[in-house]
Amino acid sequence: MERKKFLKSLSLFAASMPVLLNACEKDHQLASMGDGADVSIDQSCTVTPSETEGPFPTKSPSSYVRSDIKKSDGLGVDMEANITIVNVNDNCSALQGAIVDVWHCDVAGNYSQYGGTRMQSTNYQEVHWFRGRQTSNSDGLVTFQTIFPGWYQSRATHIHVHIYNASGNSLLVTQIAFQDSICNTVNVDGSAYGYKKGMTGYTYNANDNVFNDSAALEMSTVKGSLAAGFNMEITIKVSA
Amino acid sequence: MQNRVITLCYKKIIGKNTRGIWNEYVFQASFAEYKIQVQNYDQKKCYRSYSALLQAKPEASNLPFLLSGAAMPYLKQLNEFIPDVTNNLGKKTLKFKKFSLEIIESSIDDPNQHKIAINFFSEPVLWLDTINDFLLVSTQQRHSDIFDTELIQLIPYLNIHSLTFKDHDQANSR
Repeated sequence: MERKKFLKSLSLFAASMPVLLNACEKDHQLASMGDGADVSIDQSCTVTPSETEGPFPTKSPSSYVRSDIKKSDGLGVDMEANITIVNVNDNCSALQGAIVDVWHCDVAGNYSQYGGTRMQSTNYQEVHWFRGRQTSNSDGLVTFQTIFPGWYQSRATHIHVHIYNASGNSLLVTQIAFQDSICNTVNVDGSAYGYKKGMTGYTYNANDNVFNDSAALEMSTVKGSLAAGFNMEITIKVSA
Repeated sequence: MQNRVITLCYKKIIGKNTRGIWNEYVFQASFAEYKIQVQNYDQKKCYRSYSALLQAKPEASNLPFLLSGAAMPYLKQLNEFIPDVTNNLGKKTLKFKKFSLEIIESSIDDPNQHKIAINFFSEPVLWLDTINDFLLVSTQQRHSDIFDTELIQLIPYLNIHSLTFKDHDQANSR
C-alpha cells in the first residue's frame, strides 16, 4: 500500500513536469528521483481510484453567512443593523445560537433573485446581495452591515427576518418596520445616495397590510443621518 | 464569411450517489440549505417533497435561487472552469461566469430524494468546425490567421445554448 502511494506520487510528479521545467530551467542537472522501474499494471477487477479534482475543494459555509451584505453598486446610505434575539420562555433573556436570516430590497425596491430570460441564469459573483445570515452571540445579538432599504409599491419600508433555532428549525418569521419620518427623510433627501423614488405612492405604516396592526411590536430604532450613516436597533422576541 | 459565436450550457446533476468530493460538498450544502429555506414557504413542514410544495405554493419556485447561495462558495472554487467538460486532452478549458441552480426534487427529511442540477453557461466561443462528436472552438472572437483552438467533446448534458452570427468585418472592427 505504501509503495502504491509512493508510485502514485511519482506519477503526479511526472504529470507536472512541463511546468516545473519551465519554471526552473537552471535545475536541469538535478538527480532523477525514484528508481525508474516500470509500474506493474493492476489486473484486479476493482474500481479505478478517483483522482483529486483540481483545485482541491474545501468545505465552506453558505455565502449567506456574512455580516456585510451590501450590494457592490455603492448605492444607499450605510446602515448597521443590530438585531437582538430574546426568548419569551426564559423571561426575555438573550437567546444565544439562534440562526438569523435577513433580506431586504435595494434602493430601487428590488430583491436579489434570478433575473433575465436566459434560463434565469445569474453571474456567480453578483448574487445574494442584501441577504445574510448570522448566529446570535451570548447577548442574543447579530449585526449586519447594510444600507437603509428602498421601497416598492404597496409596502412600507421593511427588512425580512427569519429566526431559526440552532438546529435550523423555524422559530419566527417577521419583518422590521421603520418610522415613516425616517423613510421620508431618506427618500426625499437621499437622491444623491440613489434613492430616486421620493415618497409619491409610498405606503405608510398605518396603511401597510403587514404593519397596520403590529407596527409598534416590530418598530426599529434608527439613529444617525444620511451623511453619517444609520444605526438600527431592534429586539425580536421568540418562543424558543 | 460568418463567424458563429456560441455559448454552451452544461447541466451537472448532483444527487446522493454522485461521487467526487466537490459534488458531495455541494450536495450536503444544498440539502442543508433546502431544509432551512423551505421553511420560508412551509413553516409547519406540511409538504414532505419539493414537488408537492411547488404544486401547493408556486412562490416556492424561488427556492432554487435561495439554495444557490449555499452552492456559491463551491462555484467560486472552480476558478471559472466548467467542470467535467474537457478538451480532447482531458483539460477543462471552457470558462463560465453565469450559472443557475435547479431543484430536480427534494425532501425535508430524506436526503436520498434530494437532487439538484447546476447549469453552467460558458463564456462565448467561436465555433469553427465540427469533427465527429467534437466541436472545434476558439476563445478568440476576432478573425486571425491562426486560431488557438480546443476540441470539445459533446458529452451528455452539454448543449449549445446560444448562437450568434458575426461577419469578419464586424468582428475585426470590435
